[in-house]
Amino acid sequence: MADAVLEQVPVTVLTGYLGAGKTTLLNRILSENHGRKYAVVINEFGELGVDNDLVVDSDEEVFEMNNGCICCTVRGDLIRIIGGLMKRRGRFDGIIIETTGLANPAPVAQTFFVDDTVRAKTRLDAVVAVVDAKFLLPRLEDSHEAAEQIAFADVIVLNKTDLVTPDELATVEAAIRKINRFAKIHRAQRANVPIAELLDQGAFDLKRVLAEHPDFLEDDEHEHNDDVGSVSFEVETPIDPERFNAWIGGLLAERGGDLLRTKGILAYAGEDRRFAFQAVHMMADGDFIGPWKNGEAHTSRIVFIGRNLNRPQLRRGFESCRAG
Amino acid sequence: MSATVTADHILQTRGVSHDLGAFVVAAAFARGGATAAFALGDGTLHIAPRAGGRWRVVAVHDGAVLALAPDVGPGGYLSGGDDGKLRRTGETAEDIAGFGMKWVEHVASFADARTGLLACTVGRQVHLFDGAGKKLKVLDHPSSVTGVVFDAKGKRVGASHYNGASLWFVAAKTDSARKLEWKGSHTGIAISPNGDNVVTAMQENALHGWRLTDGQHMRMTGYPGKTQALGFTRSGKWLATSGAEAIVLWPFSGGGPMGRAPSELAGGDEGVICTMVACHPQHEAVAAGFSDGLVVLADIGSARILPVCGPGRGPVSALAWSADGAQLAFGTESGFAALVDFSKQ
Repeated sequence: MADAVLEQVPVTVLTGYLGAGKTTLLNRILSENHGRKYAVVINEFGELGVDNDLVVDSDEEVFEMNNGCICCTVRGDLIRIIGGLMKRRGRFDGIIIETTGLANPAPVAQTFFVDDTVRAKTRLDAVVAVVDAKFLLPRLEDSHEAAEQIAFADVIVLNKTDLVTPDELATVEAAIRKINRFAKIHRAQRANVPIAELLDQGAFDLKRVLAEHPDFLEDDEHEHNDDVGSVSFEVETPIDPERFNAWIGGLLAERGGDLLRTKGILAYAGEDRRFAFQAVHMMADGDFIGPWKNGEAHTSRIVFIGRNLNRPQLRRGFESCRAG
Repeated sequence: MSATVTADHILQTRGVSHDLGAFVVAAAFARGGATAAFALGDGTLHIAPRAGGRWRVVAVHDGAVLALAPDVGPGGYLSGGDDGKLRRTGETAEDIAGFGMKWVEHVASFADARTGLLACTVGRQVHLFDGAGKKLKVLDHPSSVTGVVFDAKGKRVGASHYNGASLWFVAAKTDSARKLEWKGSHTGIAISPNGDNVVTAMQENALHGWRLTDGQHMRMTGYPGKTQALGFTRSGKWLATSGAEAIVLWPFSGGGPMGRAPSELAGGDEGVICTMVACHPQHEAVAAGFSDGLVVLADIGSARILPVCGPGRGPVSALAWSADGAQLAFGTESGFAALVDFSKQ
């Protein structure tokens, strides 16, 4: 059937504070000659100077799902707009969703876990956060959202680096790393990041979970406070699937509000394929993703990005999932 | 396979079909009954004469057509598009209204002895026009409107949105909605023929209903998928719905659906979801389309199922009866469109 061969359309979520450079970046994506066509969902049309018949103006409408999960909020407007855009499928290569400056990215991401039609026809590719090198630190002081946008991001465009000194830039980068050690950071001026570094990242593809985290073993210093941070653990002994499911299920149910993103690659006992796992708050997704590479150690790894991360407790929990 | 031949028998002997090459968003018959129209994701209307002959193609919207309804007059159609336009297509196509960047997501019409009524939804608003296209009023809602419908007498217009639905009197001097409240995202709406029941589809794979006479809530749950299409049979005794592996019919005779199990028709194939339903305008029968492309006609009383079109041409995305109940139009996500004649031959 013709429909079955159509691939899922990749969706990129673009977050960032007002003035950080989101619109500049969008304009670049839309006007540069890269041979691809993107549908763009925006909130304030006036800002975007590009004439594109695939620009959709939308009011962000977040609602709570009636599934007993208080942090399960989704973007109803996106469900409608993606449904509408799918009717003209084949006329664009991807969708870019711009969120308002103060938006929490979770409802956008959760929409891709919750709605069947959206899941069937599109795939969340990555969350890209644009941050202003000069004003990020005060933003982190005065708002929750700035930290959440960074915590959620797979790719961070550290923009306006020409407006700060090298020392200031190092401080800002350290602040970003403290929140999210796992995102790719691109330094930029006027949002001049190659588009290939932003789109088609496959960051929510289970096959690529934790594929690019070179500083995995880096020890992190801060733990257990209200700031958003990230922790990671590894175990060499194979994992017992039942123990892991019980532990992670309970953890997400109880602490899902604080856990912004969770990702893991697991070596299950008696199984020669890797099991990949990811969650956005309480919404989780997991599957086998093929065999370990020849000679590769069967190391299970898990990453948490969130608030109030109790490192010793999380480590004990993960270690208790070991088989045997 | 012989089974496929059998399933396509009606289509082959009584149908006319075309591959239109784009998502069939909706189908409708003109009120006068001379033509059927298919609205496509490429912005065109394909208008098919019921008597046979060439299908006429009209480029109506710059983008996708999002909604289609018969016009109030005998020969035309009303459409909304993602180009922000509400248009009317008869011999020629003309604008009724434009809304800039906002999409016109739903349209409805009501014909009476006077000029009739037109409605369209744009974001949180329902815009009401008389049949000539003159703006009557704008009705504001707390969130985006996801469905709009006139009652059988054209006295009220209902709109679904977050946390419930709103019912408005079309002719009211001062507009205030009767608010039907239920927490959650409501994604479509139907009003029973007697005007006593309003039912919405919900994001959580369920339906919610309100009995207007006493405010009784009705919860209808158990769907594996979202209900995209819902409608009452002509008598109002049954509410036919999509979203399950069968046509799900809720009983509205007697005390209503509370505490009663729905009837299920034409089920059987695991994983194949009913995507569209359209109740017959004369009889207690319902046409249904499925995610594998199967289209059937189900007689509710006898539970007899007549296959109309076999699987394999894409998920059914549009389904409509002619007012005399003699012809059925349907279309699929992959662009297949057909007109089938059930009249005596």
